[in-house]
Amino acid sequence: MPRSTTIAELRSLVAAWTPAPLARSGDCIATGAPAIDAALGGGLPRGRATELVSAAPGSGGELAFGALLASTRAARQRIALIDAADGFDPCSHPPDLLRHLVWVRARSLAEALGCADLLVRDGNYAVLVLDVRGVPARILRQQPTSAWHRLRLAAEQNPGAVLVRSATGFFPAVPWRLVLRTTAHLGDLRRTRADRVAALTAEVERGHAGAREELAG
Amino acid sequence: MNFAALWVPDFALLAVQRSEPALAGRPVALITGEGRKAVVVLASPEAGRVTPGLAVPLATARCPGLQLRERDPAAEVETQRLLLAAGFALSPRVESTAPGCCTVDLQGADAARTEAGMHRQVLELRQLGLPVRIGAGQTPLLARYAARRAAPVLIVGEREEFLRDLPLDFAEPGATHLAVLHGWGIRTLGALTALPKAEIGIRLGLAGAELWERAKGEAPSVLRLTEPARTFVAEWTYEPPVESAEPLLFKLRRFAERVAMELRSAGLVAEALSLTLLLEDETDYRREFRLPEPGADVDSWLRVLQTHLDTVRLSERVAGVRLVATPARPEHRQDGLFDTGLTDPNSFWENLARLSALVGSERVGTPVPLNSHAPDAFRLERPADIVPAPEPPTVHPQRGGVLRRFRPPLPARVILENAKPAALDGAVRGEILASSGPHVLRGDWWKPQPWAVEIWQVELAGGGLYQLTRTAGGWWIDGVLD
Repeated sequence: MPRSTTIAELRSLVAAWTPAPLARSGDCIATGAPAIDAALGGGLPRGRATELVSAAPGSGGELAFGALLASTRAARQRIALIDAADGFDPCSHPPDLLRHLVWVRARSLAEALGCADLLVRDGNYAVLVLDVRGVPARILRQQPTSAWHRLRLAAEQNPGAVLVRSATGFFPAVPWRLVLRTTAHLGDLRRTRADRVAALTAEVERGHAGAREELAG
Repeated sequence: MNFAALWVPDFALLAVQRSEPALAGRPVALITGEGRKAVVVLASPEAGRVTPGLAVPLATARCPGLQLRERDPAAEVETQRLLLAAGFALSPRVESTAPGCCTVDLQGADAARTEAGMHRQVLELRQLGLPVRIGAGQTPLLARYAARRAAPVLIVGEREEFLRDLPLDFAEPGATHLAVLHGWGIRTLGALTALPKAEIGIRLGLAGAELWERAKGEAPSVLRLTEPARTFVAEWTYEPPVESAEPLLFKLRRFAERVAMELRSAGLVAEALSLTLLLEDETDYRREFRLPEPGADVDSWLRVLQTHLDTVRLSERVAGVRLVATPARPEHRQDGLFDTGLTDPNSFWENLARLSALVGSERVGTPVPLNSHAPDAFRLERPADIVPAPEPPTVHPQRGGVLRRFRPPLPARVILENAKPAALDGAVRGEILASSGPHVLRGDWWKPQPWAVEIWQVELAGGGLYQLTRTAGGWWIDGVLD
């Protein structure tokens, strides 16, 4: 039997036993932040979890989220924010940018994960954002790894994108992890938000091999 | 009602009966052991006086037509997956507790809808040959007790009243403890829990105290959640291999029933089926079927498969069969005049109701900033049925910081120099490199309790922009300008 036939057979065998992602390869949701979209090949991949790390205060995590709100609002897509530390400030955004948002103000990480478990399978949201910044690292470490694997696997079986926002990269086996490296100064607040979003810098800390292949098409 | 348990009595026997069409309506017994030591473990009602523990020769003497079978692990796995699929139809948080039993976390679910869902699952599983019972209660253990008493659905309201007359064996005491408790005249859970737990602990030790907790239905239990099905595959090996299409179609129906239920529980449909027949000479026959209309209707799947199998002629006997369903999302409906703009409106509103029950209805919704300058003034509204078209962009582009709030604000001490913040101390500390402010906000001056705050934005020497508030009560850190 020629070698190529063997590999083809093996691939079809593996394909039969591993779940086919529901999302089409390359299908993604633009975040509106050029640095993030460029790093991810167009935006948040559907049917995948992505971790966005905002390590330092002022690194632009909220700016990037504002851009995502604007981008999904323009497309009239729904977005859910599960806020584990209740830090989102709606008054920082124009009211019209919030009309497609469902905000869940969780009181603990466990509660937030329970909510994510429900919403990730909902099917009505283009993006599910789970924000765990503000959750102490000790509490994050106490959470069983299986809970994060469960979220990742659920993301792979659903058409929306899952974005986890953290202060330190912790999400095990996440296909994509981006770190925001921007440093903000007081004078920057006088610039337009669009300018500041355009100036955000994002670095790919982790890009799963399979995810890179998808990106390459 | 926080938890539900789905329980199938005589599970191992039912799994065997479901996998063999010839056993329908006939006396069947599951046996264990070999030769003369073989004894009956479970027997179907048709077996009459054959009871568990009976030696096989005696059992066949009592019931001459008795069919003897051993446990079938593959059939049990297949049947357990069907049971789990029914669990996932109630909630995504399901534990495969034991063969024939799964526990479902229902916290936050709407009680009336969930109860209706339980009755639906009972009906559906009964049609598939699985007489399930469902119990619900405040704890996983209570739900399992209720399932054992259900006919076919039982929701425990008054825990004490429900537990009072349950026999002791529900709490699974060891033989020694059971003998001791019977010696004391205790035969029900109510009688046991009427005694002080500490006294039971002194006399029966730690195991006795744990037994008391189980009798109370309170034993701590964290669900070990099972992942919902990710692959929609079913496979069976025939021993001996089969020659006709009849046993194939029987097995394919069982597969299709389970796979369709898994798909429905996940809110999916099948867009294609793949059938593989494993032949005796270790080759295989494979065929893909793209369904005319994606769906999870078992009868339409089987029509497609049967029509094809009727035309197939194989040179070898069939040693195994595999069915794979390719999942897809149900097709989006065309937007209409009364369209809600949601892919799955039922799931959307049901999940919102569950979230409201989990975190509180005042903590879920679409935020709407209030027409006020008061800090952090917003309300949460019910999400819109249809996401409206965006408003045209404003003439003046958006500027300023985007705040990430600390709720509640963190108390701080601020050292001033020339009436400007120079250093910050508190949960965040450091020398202040630059500041902007004060931006004075006042409101409700016409009310008995007017408010006034000074807002400052500061940049720390170590990095980071923060928003500070000065009130009559002192300085506060509102959050990070991110």
